[in-house]
Amino acid sequence: MMSNIIRKAVLLVAGLLLAVSAGAQEGHPLKGSWIGEWKGNQASGDFLFLVLDWDGKKVSGTINPGTDDMVIKTATLNPADWTVHIEADGKAKDKPVSYTLDGKIVNLELPSRSIVGTWKSQNGSGALEVVRQ
Amino acid sequence: MQNPRLKSLLAAAITSAVLGWSSAPALAHHPVQAKFDKATEMSITGVVTNVDWKNPHVHVFLNVKTGTAVANWAVELESPLLLKGSGWSSTSVKPGDTLTVKGIRARDGSRQLWSESVSKGSTTLFALKDLHPAVPAKKEPAPRGADGKVMFGSAAGYWGFPSSYALVEDGVKVKMDKYGQLADLADAAKVAPLQPWALALYKKRQQRDLRDDPMFLHCKPPGGPREYQSDLGIKFVEDKVNQRVFILMGSGNHNYRIIYMDGREKVGSVTGDDDNPLYYGRAIGKWDGDALLVTTKGFNEDFWMSNGGLPHTSSLVLTERFARPDMNTLQYQVSIDDRGAYTRPWTASWTMQWVPDQEVPIHFCQDNRP
Repeated sequence: MMSNIIRKAVLLVAGLLLAVSAGAQEGHPLKGSWIGEWKGNQASGDFLFLVLDWDGKKVSGTINPGTDDMVIKTATLNPADWTVHIEADGKAKDKPVSYTLDGKIVNLELPSRSIVGTWKSQNGSGALEVVRQ
Repeated sequence: MQNPRLKSLLAAAITSAVLGWSSAPALAHHPVQAKFDKATEMSITGVVTNVDWKNPHVHVFLNVKTGTAVANWAVELESPLLLKGSGWSSTSVKPGDTLTVKGIRARDGSRQLWSESVSKGSTTLFALKDLHPAVPAKKEPAPRGADGKVMFGSAAGYWGFPSSYALVEDGVKVKMDKYGQLADLADAAKVAPLQPWALALYKKRQQRDLRDDPMFLHCKPPGGPREYQSDLGIKFVEDKVNQRVFILMGSGNHNYRIIYMDGREKVGSVTGDDDNPLYYGRAIGKWDGDALLVTTKGFNEDFWMSNGGLPHTSSLVLTERFARPDMNTLQYQVSIDDRGAYTRPWTASWTMQWVPDQEVPIHFCQDNRP
């Protein structure tokens, strides 16, 4: 019980410190690395790592770069309300999976801005939150 | 949790982290309108308790009596540089003096006032002056070096007081203050050919009264054209032996830019030079008659390239032309090509004025205090 509380407290403090230390990014708001969770994702795990880039015309990137990486096939930002839509195909536990992420940029003005929203796939759905690093 | 000591340690750690994070922006340097509301003009009279004569802003503390109650107010003034230029010094007022101060109040309702006018009785002790140097009636030719080239710098003097504080496309007329805040937000789309996301971000920065400006908030360098739109100016230092031109800045974090004149190939990738993108990019220059032509790329995205917060991306390429048609005038023209943030290349131009016989003023923001 106590170790669980301590773990959560340490994670909270670490998260706050990470938020403070995020590098400045005054260009396109989506560009950069984002770390967080897609909660309840049993197929790919809770941990979510997004790497996004902007070439002047479109947003590109990768979900969970590494052995389970999924190349993003569609990513859009609507500047009218700062909503984000991302689609990617990949594999989870050796089975094909298609993800759709929808969210909104929170604290746009901060280097440590977040995307908060939902994820869904053929395996389920849940809440999503990633913080720019 | 059973262990009260552990519990209190954890609480302290969390509280420290939260307070540290939340108080950081409040302590930082800022554009005036980010902290103070122009619509809240007021006047207070009180007795000086302390004078804090430091960059970037001087503070005078007053005890103000209302009925039987006494409250301490912080009066924020311009930088020591500008106050000195207006005839004030650190000893112009002393604890015990009774002052009347006109100003605008802090947006958060705290007892803080921004003031540009301080009186003692019926005598105005201080009011900000226009510090533009007088322009000689007769235009003198630009000085030339032994090689016959126009000199942009000399031992005594610097370039300051730009004709425009606003980075705006040539031919466009919009009103902005010296911090780059638009008088009318509806003019935002006229300023430059911004892509939709960049226009929305620019408007967001304007709506927040520029309080997120990293040059003020985090002492970031004013990269790109912004360094030529500061009152505190710049100084050219030409190193002919090493074939470099250094541009020293009086404001921001008192930094410098290097222009390589040695004919090297341009370095820095248009797509970002991810190994080491820079605040001032990588600049190479050459002479075109009496004008200095500079092209620069390899910028990072960690700064605002203009007063007022026009966005840019790492695709930014600047082509600049510096000319000195006479002793007192520096003509600056910049072509901005950033396919990441703008729909097409665009140009802007303005002039700077020669300030003779003075060193470029030094104004540090590193202390990161209000």
